[in-house]
Amino acid sequence: MIYLDNAATTFPKPAETLRAALETYIRMGVSPGRGSYDLATEAEDLVTTTRKRLADFFDAPDPERVIFTGNATDALNIALQGMLTFGDHVVSSRLEHNSVLRPLYHMRQKGVIDYDLVSFDDNGFVRPEEIAAVIKPNTALVILTHASNVLGTVQPIEEVGLVCKERGIPLVVDAAQTAGTIPIDMKSWHVAALAFTGHKSMLAPTGIGGLVLDRDARIELTRFGGTGVDSRSLLHTETYPHRLECGTLNLLGIIGLLESLTFIQKERVESIHLREMALLTRLRDGLLGIKGVELYCADDLTCHVALLCANIRGLNPEDAGDILDGDYGIAVRTGLHCAPLVHESLGTSPHGSIRFSLGPFTTEEHVDRAVAAMSEIARRSC
Amino acid sequence: MVVDEKDSPRWDGITPRLLDAGDVQQKVRCLGGKDVLVDKDDFLWRPEDWTEDLARALARECGIDTLNDLQWQVIRFLREYFFYHGRAPLNRDIKAAVGISLMELECLFPGGIRRGARLVAGLPNPRTCSG
Repeated sequence: MIYLDNAATTFPKPAETLRAALETYIRMGVSPGRGSYDLATEAEDLVTTTRKRLADFFDAPDPERVIFTGNATDALNIALQGMLTFGDHVVSSRLEHNSVLRPLYHMRQKGVIDYDLVSFDDNGFVRPEEIAAVIKPNTALVILTHASNVLGTVQPIEEVGLVCKERGIPLVVDAAQTAGTIPIDMKSWHVAALAFTGHKSMLAPTGIGGLVLDRDARIELTRFGGTGVDSRSLLHTETYPHRLECGTLNLLGIIGLLESLTFIQKERVESIHLREMALLTRLRDGLLGIKGVELYCADDLTCHVALLCANIRGLNPEDAGDILDGDYGIAVRTGLHCAPLVHESLGTSPHGSIRFSLGPFTTEEHVDRAVAAMSEIARRSC
Repeated sequence: MVVDEKDSPRWDGITPRLLDAGDVQQKVRCLGGKDVLVDKDDFLWRPEDWTEDLARALARECGIDTLNDLQWQVIRFLREYFFYHGRAPLNRDIKAAVGISLMELECLFPGGIRRGARLVAGLPNPRTCSG
């Protein structure tokens, strides 16, 4: 199978990282930081090491404010529900995934907040000045995706960070599509909170992600429970990281993340990205020449992650996905990609598009076979 | 493989689960001389409501005047598989069972694979990432 659904979940993962994680877990798969035995302390050391490594990786100021979550959606929910209160206004964009759109909509329906969504230009970029233009006196948060999971465009977070800093508004960034493939610098970009997931470009297993906070980020508790700390008190632990973590952590996921982080840093994020983008350019150029294929990506792939969407005229994208899989052994993602407003703006709603997303193990042959398959399907499309 | 829909080992009440799913976009339509509950895209809510007359009616709406042998073969396979396994077949299952490519299947029904073949066969609307 040719796997081109890496924007959903990277596959395959580096086998050596999974084996190493499993071996460690077999040796010390206990509750980290709970109990008075050495193994629990050693497991906690691994968790602490992972927090430190992630803080370095994202240039975040405080490892204790690296909060482990199930994935980016989980992290975004913790951030939005913890950082917003009654009467707040939020600025976001039409590029967002439902991981942002649905929590915002839910909070608006409950009468907690209101929000404005700025649009994107013809090349798929949100303009910082448009964000500045809709900020109100009660704007309490700006939340923006780092890269669109439909268009692949990398947003000008640094410039948006400046807009936010000048106005004293925290910026939350959804780095689901960029963590592990685009270098992130929370401090110099003035990012208050960064949500990431392990299972995409971080090359970790599913079920692990995180919320990384700046020291100034104010976030209320929305979940409560056991932390292994201050157990006599009925009040949930106030100090980080326990403040935002409840129950036993996903230790296997955390170890997997630590191992995959080591892999990524050895391979170098920049090198992985350059290689993937060379393949994306090859894919884009190949698809461009096919009659009947419509492409939805920026003209210039400079600020881009390695994904692009396309359609074959007259063919439902879901059926195209079935054909690519059944007849050519090519796995792609079809539909709205959980980002309905992007497709509304593109005019591809309600059926969406075919998304090709490349990963560290994609090859030129994979790309060429995808182009050939699209060409044949477009030619034979009834 | 021939499985009576009512006796299928995996047919353990999929319809009630669908009806409990919170989707209220249902309507009653008369298809093939029978009132049936369909969703917003005209997929049957209750796959067991399907009859051959109903398939012919849905096919006509898709632009097929008369279902040919191959189309019936596809429809019967989809239904048998669904009632045995409790879900629609994998792409490779269809290909192996019917002996045609997915591209050929796409062209066999004007609505395509999911909104043509699957709809006429009376399978539930596939819950996917599209609207």
